[in-house]
Amino acid sequence: MSRILKAIILCSVALVLLVSPAYSKVDVVKIGVIYPLTGTSASTGNDYVAAYQLAADIINNVTNIDFPFAKTVGIPSLGNAKIEFVPADSQGNAEVGKAEAERLITTIKPAALMGCHHSAVTKTASQAAEQYGIPFLCPDSTSPALTERGYEYFFRSGPTDNTFIEDAFQFIADVDKAKGTKTQTVALVSEDTEFGKNILNVEKDLANKLGYKIVETITFANNSTNLSSEVLRLKQANPDVIFMAAYTSDTILFMKTFKEQRYYPRAIIGQRAGFIAPELFQTIGKDADYLFTTNVWAADLGVARPIVKTINDMYKKKTGKDLTGDYARAFTGAFVMADAINRAGSLDPEAIKKALLETNLPGKDLIVPWEGVKFDQKTHQNMYGKTIITQFSNGSYKTVWPLNLASTPVVWPVPGWDKR
Amino acid sequence: MKKYTVYILIAAALLAAIVLPRLLPKPFEKHVLILIMLYSILGSAWNILGGYTGQVSLGHAVFFGIGAYTSSIMLIKWGIVPWVGMLVGGVIATIVSIIIGLPTFKLRGFYFAIATIALGEMTRTLFLNWEWIGGAVGLELPIKRGDKLINLQFYLSKNNYYYVLLGIFLLTILAIYVIQKSKLGYYFRAVKDSHEAALASGIDTARTKLVAMGISAFITAIAGSVYAQYLLYIDPYVVFSSAISTRICLVAILGGEGRLFGPIIGSSILVILSEYSRAWLGGGGKGVDLIIYGTLIVLVAAFQPRGILGMVEMVKAKRQKAVVPNA
Amino acid sequence: MNPFQVLIQTIVNGLLLGSIIALVAIGIAIIRGVMDMVNFAQGEFLMLGMYASYWINVKWNLDPLVSAPITIALMFILGVIVYKVLIARVIEAPMLAQMLLTFGLSIVLVNVGLFLWGSQFKTIPNVLVKGTISIGGVMVSLNALVPALVSLLMAGAVYWFLMKTRMGRAFQATSMNKKAAALVGIDTQTVYALAFGLAAACAGLAGSVLSISYYIFPGVGSVFNLYAFVAVCLGGFGSIPGAFIGGLMIGVSDSLAGFYISAAFKYVVAFGIYLVTVIFKPKGLFGW
Repeated sequence: MSRILKAIILCSVALVLLVSPAYSKVDVVKIGVIYPLTGTSASTGNDYVAAYQLAADIINNVTNIDFPFAKTVGIPSLGNAKIEFVPADSQGNAEVGKAEAERLITTIKPAALMGCHHSAVTKTASQAAEQYGIPFLCPDSTSPALTERGYEYFFRSGPTDNTFIEDAFQFIADVDKAKGTKTQTVALVSEDTEFGKNILNVEKDLANKLGYKIVETITFANNSTNLSSEVLRLKQANPDVIFMAAYTSDTILFMKTFKEQRYYPRAIIGQRAGFIAPELFQTIGKDADYLFTTNVWAADLGVARPIVKTINDMYKKKTGKDLTGDYARAFTGAFVMADAINRAGSLDPEAIKKALLETNLPGKDLIVPWEGVKFDQKTHQNMYGKTIITQFSNGSYKTVWPLNLASTPVVWPVPGWDKR
Repeated sequence: MKKYTVYILIAAALLAAIVLPRLLPKPFEKHVLILIMLYSILGSAWNILGGYTGQVSLGHAVFFGIGAYTSSIMLIKWGIVPWVGMLVGGVIATIVSIIIGLPTFKLRGFYFAIATIALGEMTRTLFLNWEWIGGAVGLELPIKRGDKLINLQFYLSKNNYYYVLLGIFLLTILAIYVIQKSKLGYYFRAVKDSHEAALASGIDTARTKLVAMGISAFITAIAGSVYAQYLLYIDPYVVFSSAISTRICLVAILGGEGRLFGPIIGSSILVILSEYSRAWLGGGGKGVDLIIYGTLIVLVAAFQPRGILGMVEMVKAKRQKAVVPNA
Repeated sequence: MNPFQVLIQTIVNGLLLGSIIALVAIGIAIIRGVMDMVNFAQGEFLMLGMYASYWINVKWNLDPLVSAPITIALMFILGVIVYKVLIARVIEAPMLAQMLLTFGLSIVLVNVGLFLWGSQFKTIPNVLVKGTISIGGVMVSLNALVPALVSLLMAGAVYWFLMKTRMGRAFQATSMNKKAAALVGIDTQTVYALAFGLAAACAGLAGSVLSISYYIFPGVGSVFNLYAFVAVCLGGFGSIPGAFIGGLMIGVSDSLAGFYISAAFKYVVAFGIYLVTVIFKPKGLFGW
């Protein structure tokens, strides 16, 4: 090695040593958020990022609303340090998600990671976080397996598929009682990735346990070219209720095909994903009416709680769209994280993990209709997450269940295509 | 070039390959290195079939996935170490490749390429609906701490993944080199240059192609096993994706198909480009990174149809003012 | 519906799907037939055609069926430009370089679409042709019937062009023997450029008729690409009637398998039919 090279290296080492202590004061709290920003789910991913940015706006600036962190600047306990959500693109791919998690952890040194919409990506990205001992808060993925892995640093604020599906069956029982109908047969329709398969397994178990007859089970290919034979099978099986798990493109295609084939069962109950994508109404318009979906959020929750409406309006101003269950969950997660960091009073991962474990947010501080956020000490699953059932009407989601939150009476059974 | 210059060059390259990960401290850089090595192996394996015998496969993810699934299943269900699972996966992939190859080797050019795409999609569908191996839900590999080589899992230092892959890559290169120099290599070239001429000169073309496919599948499956150990989660959309098949093929073609060191050059360029453009530009959600990635592929293809190594050889040929025969 | 009606319905659904696949497949078959290369970006041309229809509808409120001539013209020009700028460079190159180029092109086009128009799914509201008619209990959606008819007409027109017109004969001559064609005074470069333009125009037309019934987004090409390729190979590369019939066969097998066997395995059955066919007829049903 030449002398000059040695000198340069020595100088830079000295420089680093000199400069690094200056960074002990926290200027900005970085949180990595990993979502699919390109590919089939790009639209969803970009809207997620907007929800995080809205959360950052509220936390970092003085906002005249009645919400945690609104009246202050940044994270008070860290000298009003600003919070920044740094987006990274998972492409909806498990390998890329893990690589991006590692890259974020080792380059921007985030206080925590959040994400990732697709359960498969959350699985691998949280592996990286676990390995490096960085807290990972998942607000949105619903695969029950995620919180059954015994990870130390993994937390989930949103409800799992189990909760969503149990509530969907409870809804059927309640509405049957109220409307004097008797739902006996169900069809289970799921796309063929990890998301659909998980849901299908839970649905099968519950339907059998509760005594519903499964007259048809369909697994269809993700991003199908055509779904006419699937719809024809459903038409022939003629179930009372269809349960459906599909991403946006397939949901649009399914609804178009249902209409072409002039078929509609008593009700179609979707499992979020495509059914709460803003594009569903934009693309199929009034044909989306009367669709049910399990959900965690709807704009009409703002009738009883003005703050929900205020925040939705802020989001709408930013993106031109309403929040959905997905983005409301992410927004909520952002505040769970901000609260934990504020209580931790440091960016040390152990302190943040401890603060997350001690999280006890009341329902009034959330825009989702949950009792609150408190993590199970063993699994780190939020114990107070709740789901609602919404029904589509005129381009927006109306809460129809549970009854104490319902804004609109449920339309059941759903009128067929010829009666609209 | 004189012989000893070649030896010195090889020794220097080897030394560089060994030292490289120690110079790059960031895990993301190591991740990039690991992917480069992985796709170098995959590209080389593809080359045996596509580059040397001219059968273009767009379904190599089938073998990759079989490798990943075999070692993972053996580890999860029976606790067998991945090194054994890896070899078993290789053997199973070879058997599958022969089953696939027997009927499809009659197909030429694009008919074969499309058939391999179709086979890739079919295999993925079968695995998605095969509950015993986890179906669409996928498999999470048990975490084994302690960085023991026998477990093929390294937490403390990702370098070890790189070295394992480097070892496999060197073995692959060596195997290809030996084949090239042997009678088999001569058969390969004969089949590629002219199928009819090869037949006429008494070469069993079908058998030659099967041998090429078998070796190719074996190596691809081994790389698949290491990948599963690296990602620690697999599902059919992860390991049987057509994107992997396409990338394997791109790596080999970009470097210059049918050339010993083509894949490592192709994979260095492709992996660095896609990983870093995503890291720098991917957060914007506008696909700028992929536009750049695609544009480069287009440019190489349009202006240097023989791949990067082809370009190097052309420059050399011009300098020597002599025609260099295609290797 | 009684079992017989169900069978007819399944076949009708399959034919409707198949004709859409055929729309994309014909473009691939033209390029392969005339210049002996495969365009992996054909699905992306379809996507561009759909977006062209969409934006014309947004800006001037023209129905995609009315604006189809504009879309076709735009796509023809684009096709010729793509040929002159890029494809012409690899026309003499090995097959792998051609593959590499069209692969790269497809990645670029998808992401340029994402960059320019965003990732939202779009549909065209209030199209001229809509609704479903019932023929003896069998449901036929009109906006799926239009692509089917257009696809049939297009296959016929392209076939007629290649077989009966002077230009078409020049295409054929070039595809059979390039050197000989040049000797008798055919400008092969022009023929190639026109063929590529024609293929892109077919994708434009396909995009127009498909945009009235399908969702539009940057990745929509990949939804059709694979089936279209299999259809072209099944029919025999380069054969226009082959591509059309191949498309229909794939569509019907998809529909029948999806209904009578299992939705999960319909791709396996459709691809299986392809594999079995080419094992016995390695150049497809009508290949040469």
